[in-house]
Amino acid sequence: MTEKTPFSLQGKKILVTGASSGIGLNICKSVVASGGEVIGVARRTDRLSAMVKELGETRASFINADLSVDTGIEKIIAEIPEINGLVYAAGITKLSPLKFIKRQVLEEVMNVNYFSMVLLLAQITRHKKLKRNADSSIVLISSVAQQIGTKSSLLYTGSKGAMSAASRVIANELSSQKIRVNTIEPGMVQTAMASEMEDMLSSEAVEKDRKQYPLGYGTPEDVANAAIFLLSDASKWMTGQSLTLDGGRYKLLD
Amino acid sequence: MDKNQFLQSFAEQFDETDPSAITMDARFKEIDEWSSMVALMIIAMVDENYNKKITGADLREANTIEQLFERINAK
Repeated sequence: MTEKTPFSLQGKKILVTGASSGIGLNICKSVVASGGEVIGVARRTDRLSAMVKELGETRASFINADLSVDTGIEKIIAEIPEINGLVYAAGITKLSPLKFIKRQVLEEVMNVNYFSMVLLLAQITRHKKLKRNADSSIVLISSVAQQIGTKSSLLYTGSKGAMSAASRVIANELSSQKIRVNTIEPGMVQTAMASEMEDMLSSEAVEKDRKQYPLGYGTPEDVANAAIFLLSDASKWMTGQSLTLDGGRYKLLD
Repeated sequence: MDKNQFLQSFAEQFDETDPSAITMDARFKEIDEWSSMVALMIIAMVDENYNKKITGADLREANTIEQLFERINAK
């Protein structure tokens, strides 16, 4: 018998929000592939059922809930068992130059990307749903966007900056229970969300951006692999950190 | 959609270009100040003023402001 590797998620139950597509969906698959059990949260039942069907009911389940309303968060709290980890991958994006930003769209993006994250973690903590003193881990999917200032990205960048700042506070508050909190800050990852943004830009602008990534654009699997590391005991000495995954885009200069 | 109103809103998205250079015949992507940022401003302006969604593809396929106007009108 080989000993269990610290990178394994065997025996760990992981809650993943934004589980129906993109990075969230890939994290669900990777949790199961790494030996863990996943509970996926999203609004689209058809996609969640497909996810559970693919991964098998013994290791995967889902909760159909809208995180943007309190009743959605209450539903999650009522339905989940004690968990060992949580990944917040729910998020939306919208490009808009500053002068076109109105309260409604600002609230819409902040609500999903930031307010719901804070309110979900508040209730998870209040109801002691994350196992204490057992190397539990919270992983927030932020963005490298929050380290820089890409034109027209204010709605998204502001929400991710708030998320990354909050993560350090939450990490500090939960450290006494040995619950760790880290963010992943990816650059451009090929998902439906990225294609939606590319539709608004010229193909030349997208091509120019792509060329600035020494290792090319990322894949959802690249982000999922980092999430598995942060969820596993292999990272048990790591908290309050941001892990940048950008194929060398912002540190390697020509 | 009123053509003059559209033309004026289009011109407002530029900071340095003389509005007189912005005519319905103008090949807007050849204007010096044209950039991906101005493109996003035009997309946002069309959304705000006309409640219509245009994409990078619409901007790519139209050469003159008139052609863009017609594309938006057809939506």
